[in-house]
Amino acid sequence: MQHKVVIFVLALILAALPVLAKKTQITCSGSTTVLPIAQATAEAFMDANPNINISVRGGGSGVGVAALQNGTVQIANSSRPMKAKEVTQAKSKGVNPTPYAIALDGIAMVAHDSNPVSNLTIAQIKSIYTGKIKNWKDLGGPNLPIVVISRDVASGTFEVFNEKALGGAKVGASAQLLASNNAIVTTVADTPGAIGYAGLGYLSSEVKILNVNGITPSDKTVKDGTYPLARKLYMYTNGKAAGDVNKFIAFIQSAAGQKIVKEQGFITLK
Amino acid sequence: MNKALILATLGILALSGSLGAQELKITGEMWNRWTLENGKAPGDSTDAVLRHNFSLERGYLGLEPKFSETIKGRFTVDIFSTDLSKDGAGLKLKYAYVDFSQLIPIPDLTTTIGLQKVYFGTIYDWNYSLIGKAPSDEYKVANSADYGISLNGYIPGGWGEYALGLYNGEGYKNYGANLKDNVDPSLLANLRLTPLPGITIGGSVMANGSERKVKLADATDNSSYNTQLLLDGLLRAAYGPVDIWVEYISKDVKYAELFSSKDYTATALTVFPTLKLYKLIGADIDVLGRYDRWDETDNPANPNLLTAITGGINYNFGHDDSANSAMQLQLKYTAKSYDAAESAASYANGLKDTSTLMLQFKWRFANTLKI
Repeated sequence: MQHKVVIFVLALILAALPVLAKKTQITCSGSTTVLPIAQATAEAFMDANPNINISVRGGGSGVGVAALQNGTVQIANSSRPMKAKEVTQAKSKGVNPTPYAIALDGIAMVAHDSNPVSNLTIAQIKSIYTGKIKNWKDLGGPNLPIVVISRDVASGTFEVFNEKALGGAKVGASAQLLASNNAIVTTVADTPGAIGYAGLGYLSSEVKILNVNGITPSDKTVKDGTYPLARKLYMYTNGKAAGDVNKFIAFIQSAAGQKIVKEQGFITLK
Repeated sequence: MNKALILATLGILALSGSLGAQELKITGEMWNRWTLENGKAPGDSTDAVLRHNFSLERGYLGLEPKFSETIKGRFTVDIFSTDLSKDGAGLKLKYAYVDFSQLIPIPDLTTTIGLQKVYFGTIYDWNYSLIGKAPSDEYKVANSADYGISLNGYIPGGWGEYALGLYNGEGYKNYGANLKDNVDPSLLANLRLTPLPGITIGGSVMANGSERKVKLADATDNSSYNTQLLLDGLLRAAYGPVDIWVEYISKDVKYAELFSSKDYTATALTVFPTLKLYKLIGADIDVLGRYDRWDETDNPANPNLLTAITGGINYNFGHDDSANSAMQLQLKYTAKSYDAAESAASYANGLKDTSTLMLQFKWRFANTLKI
């Protein structure tokens, strides 16, 4: 009789183990551009894997990279490649930053819907953002002062834009600096004369998307590299991703994950 | 001097706006310290209390204007407590430089002009995780900051970093009239490589001359003139919660031939291990140790052989999104002892073996203003 009780109790414990088992926790933080992809894919992944909990935070690419260096997150989301300084600092701490491309993105130039200008060259964009061109009439548009809107300098989107469009030049003092892609799109939509830029995933029909060097930002032009303001979006891990972190990243790169990437307005890897 | 520095600080604030800085970062770091130091010389029967006090050891205030993505400035003053001035406070200019990152078209290379870091050994990225100075600073081998020009950068791909510098060679505390005997600038080269994650190897070399020229105006030898060759080698190994630094320094001082009896070579060896408990127990606590051996027995003016052993513990709190802490409570104990035979002459000049207990509360802040 005693044996039967012991076996029954053991069976109960074994049966309860999956319930008692602690959820695996994955933490990721960083780029606000990557944030919607990370959030949407995390939700889908957690639905399919209820024992895995994924915590996603923004903060900017630099914040995510620093957190990976400090060992407090497993994934750093970044809308730009890590800098040589960041990689060196991470490696010296014993952290081996390993990039995984999860999506493609184009930084679209946007103007107010009523603006007749439809194309800008990189040189014109640089002149606008450095304050040399101040009126749309100098670009074949109406006699209307240009309201320059830019991301704050801590954002990865700004860093890529600054490198690819401005060549590192200083943004003019009159530019309004906003903290998110959404804020830029909303402000440009409400401001005749405004120009801004945002990731493709944040565009709406309330703004006019401008061609750059005659190229329209699209799936095709971003993938084939002809659009000048195209970039990859990354997740960085410490060393090769393993275990549940690897499963999560593999899910984002899979057909199901890339479908979510597309739903979020970004461009798939293939 | 103090008024001049305050005016300069306000000037930089105003200039940041008028020169069109995109943003201005305001930083601060305060070290509130309690110190109890006992010591005795050979022959003393008991320890004497050498020091027992509270102090503000450092009070860094910094302005970092960002003029563009490629041009950034830094201006830092150190306000500290001292009984050397009648108002009980001192003020030093620590950094005043501008970084140009595309002045020379090499990726990840920065040209720095002004009062800046000296890229020698560990002194330029020493973060005082254990109370105490970097070895080259502690043993007066190199200065932590100096006036000059440097090219400093990172090797693409994260393989390491390098620096070339031209400095006064007299440090940031000397300026104007104090530099009258310095006509030889110092030259510096520094290289650190990270061939594997967790492994860093590096070395620095610095050549300096001081006290004007080897010959005086009447063509006789200058007894004070000396040249210094400073060498540093370091190894860092970081794996999981363990982080160990090993640093070896050599200081070779040579005088004019007639006074070559004053020539000497001094060496330092430091081993600095840290155990980061955060990775083991989740609490941001560091356990630290340090072993120093400073051998200056070759120096006829101050022969001594020092061994210093330090243990410490840090509690970090007030973390930001990047897990960097805004506050730190540090406790450390250091025992310094000199070899009696090798240090006899210096003992006679008042050198003492000491034991020091320190408790320090450090807090820092950084806010960026969009201009």
